[in-house]
Amino acid sequence: MNFQDIIFNLQKYWSDNGCIIKQPMDLEKGAGTFNPDTFLRCLGPEPWNVAYVEPSRRPTDGRYGQNPFRTQFFYQFQVLLKPSPDDVIDLYLGSLENLGIKLKLHDIRFVEDDWQSPTIGAAGLGWEVWADGMEITQFTYFQQMGGFMLKPVSAEITYGLERIAMYLQDKDSFWDLKWSDNITYGDLHLESEKQWSVYNFEVASVSMLLDLFKKYEKEFERVIGRGLIFVGCEYIIKCSHIFNLLDAREAISVAERTSYIARVRNLAKILCSAYLKQREEMGYPLLKKE
Amino acid sequence: MRKNLVFEIGTEELPPSCTGEGVSGLKKILENKLAENRLEFEDIQTYSSPRRLVAVVKGLSELQNSKERTVAGPTLKVAFDKDGNPTMAAEGFARSLNLEVSDLEEIEVEGKGVYLGKRIIEEEKKAVDVLPDILKDSILSLTFSKQMTWADHDIKFARPIRWILALYDNEVIKFSLENLNSANITFGHRTLSPGPINIKDADSYFKLLQDKGKVIADAVKRKELILNQINQLEEDIWRGNYRVVLDGNLLNDVVNMVEMPNVVIGNFPEEFLYIPKDLLIEAIQYHQKYFAVLDKSGNVSTKFLIIQNGIKDNGGIKKGNERVLKARLSDAAFFYEEDKKHDFNYWADKLKGVIFFSNLGSMYNKALRLKKVSAYIAGLLEGSRLHEKDDISTNLATASMLCKCDLVTNMVVEFPALQGVVGRQYAREKGEKSEVPDAIFEHHLPRFAADILPATDVGLILSIADKIDTITGMFLVGKIPSGSEDPFALRRKASGIVLSILKGKYDFDLTGLISYNQNLYQKSFNFRGISDLKISTGIKDFIIARYRFLLEKKDKRLDILESILGSGCCSILDIDLRYKAIEEFIESEDIKKISCPMIRCKNIIDKKEFGEVDVELLEEEYEKRLFSSVNMKEKVIKDLMCKKDYTAVLAELYGFGEIVDLFFDKVLVMDKDKKVRSNRINLIKKAVDSYLLMADFSRLTIEGNSRI
Repeated sequence: MNFQDIIFNLQKYWSDNGCIIKQPMDLEKGAGTFNPDTFLRCLGPEPWNVAYVEPSRRPTDGRYGQNPFRTQFFYQFQVLLKPSPDDVIDLYLGSLENLGIKLKLHDIRFVEDDWQSPTIGAAGLGWEVWADGMEITQFTYFQQMGGFMLKPVSAEITYGLERIAMYLQDKDSFWDLKWSDNITYGDLHLESEKQWSVYNFEVASVSMLLDLFKKYEKEFERVIGRGLIFVGCEYIIKCSHIFNLLDAREAISVAERTSYIARVRNLAKILCSAYLKQREEMGYPLLKKE
Repeated sequence: MRKNLVFEIGTEELPPSCTGEGVSGLKKILENKLAENRLEFEDIQTYSSPRRLVAVVKGLSELQNSKERTVAGPTLKVAFDKDGNPTMAAEGFARSLNLEVSDLEEIEVEGKGVYLGKRIIEEEKKAVDVLPDILKDSILSLTFSKQMTWADHDIKFARPIRWILALYDNEVIKFSLENLNSANITFGHRTLSPGPINIKDADSYFKLLQDKGKVIADAVKRKELILNQINQLEEDIWRGNYRVVLDGNLLNDVVNMVEMPNVVIGNFPEEFLYIPKDLLIEAIQYHQKYFAVLDKSGNVSTKFLIIQNGIKDNGGIKKGNERVLKARLSDAAFFYEEDKKHDFNYWADKLKGVIFFSNLGSMYNKALRLKKVSAYIAGLLEGSRLHEKDDISTNLATASMLCKCDLVTNMVVEFPALQGVVGRQYAREKGEKSEVPDAIFEHHLPRFAADILPATDVGLILSIADKIDTITGMFLVGKIPSGSEDPFALRRKASGIVLSILKGKYDFDLTGLISYNQNLYQKSFNFRGISDLKISTGIKDFIIARYRFLLEKKDKRLDILESILGSGCCSILDIDLRYKAIEEFIESEDIKKISCPMIRCKNIIDKKEFGEVDVELLEEEYEKRLFSSVNMKEKVIKDLMCKKDYTAVLAELYGFGEIVDLFFDKVLVMDKDKKVRSNRINLIKKAVDSYLLMADFSRLTIEGNSRI
């Protein structure tokens, strides 16, 4: 199954299982969790079932294209189910079967991996899912977001699309994956992976990044003061990405790290609190759609 | 009649650490609740697999034990008037029990009188009627160190509960919890046996679960199965040419990550064998939970073991895992190569940004302190056998500055368990002579109870310095362990100090070292309003308490330790030497010959001020004898103390006892003449001081010696 067909397949499967299918957000981010469709929508009592592809960037994971499956850019397929259904694991396993993975012939394992994103005050319990030892999915029951305890609890399923493709196509490296019949993943991404690795580790201007972080932080405060929650959300995402870039440049000492993380978390807390308040004022419109 | 109960809490995959908490908690809760409910049973056993916690109650009684209780009301006098008619009090009491006064009886309460009351026999309820609440409550009262909620339920558990099986013999114990109803249905292996399995009765649970469900619910059996398979490989297939590295923690984790274990052999490319052995083994074990395999000469081979959750591999599982390990190793190689680009100066500089502990500065600050503290310890030991090794101080200074550096290497960030191992490896590669790399590794020892200790002097001293520095810092910021709370494992560190001192045979006073270390902190960080003396006494007592704990574990006499501490001795090694001498002495001699005379002395001098003995005032023969004896003994004992010849000291004190006793028998201390009396007391005080050089023997608890 080609890479693009995996996406079609998952979109169809989750659409058939009651999810709306959204498109990626136009902003650099570390994971699909930062997308407001997860970040914000997991808050409050309204039901929410969504699936979307999210291009993700983790600058420190860059390996100049030399590691077969560690890269600074990759695609996630994100599913958020709120409240978490009782048969959520069966639903997930169903999606693997639907992709053509014969469950009986492989070793599918749910390995404890409690997830935390201190920058946005988020925490959850769950697993990384192994298929014959390869981590193909992150599965999390969200317990907390922006420091707020969540009820109902959402289940977040994050597929690592490249890893699933390696598995399905029996390839040893991202770069050899077939995106379509005649174009490989490497054709599309190898050169940019090399260039971004050089940029992230060696070239990115530390002074510019430090400056941007401050400016974005300020801008957040300005817009949130005007009640512009979705705009504020984007400035937090920007801050978070800049922090990751600074991290890759080793520009932040371990001691400073804590204070940077605390700064972003503080913004996230303000944002989540404002969002909760706004939804309540709106009378939780999605509750009425049930 | 007695029957067996099977109770299974079916969950989504539990973390390995939670299964342990779950089974021990479940057992305790059930034992308590069954006892509270007067249900007798023979035995409770608990089992677990990733998707279930199971309790089996054997021989559980069908009926509650009967229980008679007596309810006493008013006394007869109050209950009936002169004419024998029931009073308001009697009627009110009867009403409270829903009875007539005529139903009540006379109850005699011993020593108190006769009351109007009733003997009530509690109804013997059937087990099947009380079990639903017991089982439901036991789920609700189970707690885990990490808990979660799911969907919109309130219940907290380690992972979501998806089914409950509760079978008493062949009868379902029915109850509901949130949206779940208990039943006689279980689920087997997720992919090999996805459908529900009906269990007919309690006794067939394990067999059906294994045969139909492809699940072994008993962790002990799963472990045996893995070990048997490994053993078979080593003996029959590899014929002794390869040996599996069996890490105990890893094995326990793996046992709790599979419901049906199957060992599969994989291979990785030779190109990774150049990674140093310890680093390579950790890279194989850490993320993927594989087992490394060594060849005959003890080198890591390209083989590794996968413990699969299933029963058969058609090749796909092996291939998939091989691909994953290859990438993991290429990552480890990447980190190793990246680290090679740097040196210890670079890492030491990075330590400046790593916080040791909030308000206690950076790890770089700590390294600087370690350099001073270890030099201070080496200084204390000057003159002992250490001095013969001329470069110990150079090595200590180097090792102090390098020992924390690996914290910031890529390798340790990726594989935290390699702290110390990576430092040792890199120091070797950078050409440090062997004492330094060894000390870098050894200063972490002991890492857990019964772990090995440093083997070299540099390692031992650095280990003591590191631990005393951490303890001192933590005491300064108020993180002092109390009760069962010891989040920074300071007790283990203090035990490490004691064991290292004993191993190195280092004789030095703890108080000096503690004050020195404390001053280093005070110079850099100002801890206002903290009593230095209180803190340093606290630390000294904390460390000595670990020595006491070692004695306790060996069932040794603690009064001997107390008597030694009474001398003010603060050197762990010295305390230990004195302890052994006294212990040995007691075995063959009567210690009372030492302790009783000392007690006689102490009893008479309590709470008085003392001066020098005036020779002119000594009148009687036996006090003159005592005086000359004390002077002589004092000199001899001090001399022997210097040589640490405590057996000889005890012999001296033994002989001294006779002279003391004679003095008390022949001389009246409380003379009419105040000057004479006071002079005698000064003399006795001198005698006490001679004893106290070694120990306060009056603290020994020996039959008959506590008061004379």
